[in-house]
Amino acid sequence: MLFNIKNLEYNFKKHKILSKKISFKLNKSNHLLILGPSGCGKTTLLNLMAGLLRASNGLIEFEDNDYSLLTNNEIDEIRAHNFGFIFQKLHLINHLNVEQNIILAKNKKDSQNIYSLIDQLGLSMIKKQVIGNLSFGEAQRVAIARALVNNPKVIFADEPTSALDDLNTKNVINLLFSNAIKNKSSLIVCTHDKRIKSKFSNILEI
Amino acid sequence: MGDFTFIYYSLKSRLLNTSLSILLTTFGLSIALLVTQFSNHVQKSLNLDGNNIDIVVGAKGSPLQLVLSSIYHIDLPNGNILYDDAKKFINHPQVSKAIPLALGDNWKGFRIVGTTDDYIKHYNAEIIKGRNFEKDYEIIVGSSVNLEINSKISGSHGIIEGGSSHNDLKYNVVGILRPTGTVLDRLILTSLNSVLNIHGLQEIHHHSEHDLNDKHDSHKDHDSHEDHDSHEEHDSHKEHDSHEDHDSHEEHDFHEEHDSQDNESHHHKNKNELGSAEITALLISTKSPTANINLPRLINRQSSMQAANPAIEITRLTTMLGLGSKSFSILSTILILIAVLSIFSGLASNLDNRKGDLAILRAIGYSKIRIFKIISLEGLTIVTIGIILGVIIGILGFNLLAELILPLRTSNANFIVDTSFAMILLSVFLSGFIAACLPAYRGSKISVANQLSRNI
Repeated sequence: MLFNIKNLEYNFKKHKILSKKISFKLNKSNHLLILGPSGCGKTTLLNLMAGLLRASNGLIEFEDNDYSLLTNNEIDEIRAHNFGFIFQKLHLINHLNVEQNIILAKNKKDSQNIYSLIDQLGLSMIKKQVIGNLSFGEAQRVAIARALVNNPKVIFADEPTSALDDLNTKNVINLLFSNAIKNKSSLIVCTHDKRIKSKFSNILEI
Repeated sequence: MGDFTFIYYSLKSRLLNTSLSILLTTFGLSIALLVTQFSNHVQKSLNLDGNNIDIVVGAKGSPLQLVLSSIYHIDLPNGNILYDDAKKFINHPQVSKAIPLALGDNWKGFRIVGTTDDYIKHYNAEIIKGRNFEKDYEIIVGSSVNLEINSKISGSHGIIEGGSSHNDLKYNVVGILRPTGTVLDRLILTSLNSVLNIHGLQEIHHHSEHDLNDKHDSHKDHDSHEDHDSHEEHDSHKEHDSHEDHDSHEEHDFHEEHDSQDNESHHHKNKNELGSAEITALLISTKSPTANINLPRLINRQSSMQAANPAIEITRLTTMLGLGSKSFSILSTILILIAVLSIFSGLASNLDNRKGDLAILRAIGYSKIRIFKIISLEGLTIVTIGIILGVIIGILGFNLLAELILPLRTSNANFIVDTSFAMILLSVFLSGFIAACLPAYRGSKISVANQLSRNI
């Protein structure tokens, strides 16, 4: 079992951020689409699963590790070694170049060779360019490369296609799936973009 | 990517802010170093030059001026005193050592001082080249005086550069002193009689001088001043007689040896035409602390001379100097504080712009401790570069000023790495570290999810 979520709630200043109690299970190498309208708590759920937020109530287990029993440092360790992130706004570090942004995330001895990764994602020609000089599509591929560099068990992607046209949406989803399958990673995507619904067998609507 | 590489690119990305913080640290530190180095040098020089001189006797006037002109040779003397008047204090039972000084001339700004061997012995000076002066018009020079053995020089009247020259009488350099770090390094020393003679004053007979010292020992048992005075009378006769001998014999020899010099006018003058022997000051070491208090009172009350206590006068001087150096210390402290605040504000204000970057680092697995380490190391990098540049500029600036300012050059001012130097560096480093800690703490505590949500 990769994730075991039971009766999960998250409150902020007595306000319920998640629209309902969340419960689901996800096996290794399975993919999940979290679908819902803006403001329903999709990103919050993703942050809770990634250990970036602490649950108010309920259970989150990753590979039988109950987050509520772990220290912040232990959760940092789990995140560093098992998760990769692709944020909606990409959140690349602007003063570093493509190569440096990818290397920054590398923290395991068995991490991917970043130059083959750069090559696979078609970034070889721009690897020395700073992020500010890239197009959105190029920057998104850098963000994907950064998420994949440690061969993570889970790739979290927050609204990866919401700003893209149909062609680019298809390209990005195909890119994410091909790399996830290649790395035997689970892809967990939260979005309000129903165009990608057909790509997932596990869908959690909130 | 290593943390130091990340720090390098991070600092490089805000080069202007980083450079400003480094420059402020550099200037603050270098000024602090210059102030302390100069203060320490002045204090050390004052202590070395004034070591074991308990009383200075000279003409009436400013006691500080007397001390400065006689011990440190950095001011004009008040005037001269009659040697006969000074003599009774040379022989005083409470005096362990008395060194007469006769000033009046200079060579290129270096004072020519007529004195005795005791002056050289007092500072434990050694002759590194040549020999000590033995005859009149022979001189030995301090290590900072640029003269070679057998050089012939003419003194200029006055003790600062530019007076009329005694071209008719040449001094001959017979010895060079080893550097002592004291006032001797920038003096030209000769016999008392050389100075008296060149100024048309009666000479003090060598025997008489030695007798005075010998007699001083023999006077140890004489407690009463009356005895002392009667002895002086006897002394003066003896001196008179011996002086006549000197006129008839030694002076003759002197002329034979210095027949190339046109100094006959002085020596052939009738003794009555010459003024009484005068000296500028008498440096006295006493036998007891009580004498340091009693003897000046006695001299000031009972004679036309003035006695000054160097310790008191130097305390006054350092208080005055202290005001100046204190202002500089305050200035440098303010500069260092500005530098520290600049490091703080640079990191703190930048933190708001970097929260997104830090949140990403946290999201991809950087621990809070690692984030704290990265931000505090950025501050320490700035402060370390500032310290390195500050020390380099401090040393270069000190050496440059030591070359440009004559008293510092002649007193061999050197940059010294001592406890105060280490303390300044440590305090700047710690201040920089503390200034970096608060932004580092704030940076490590950011809410990753909130920050990433805010940026979406």
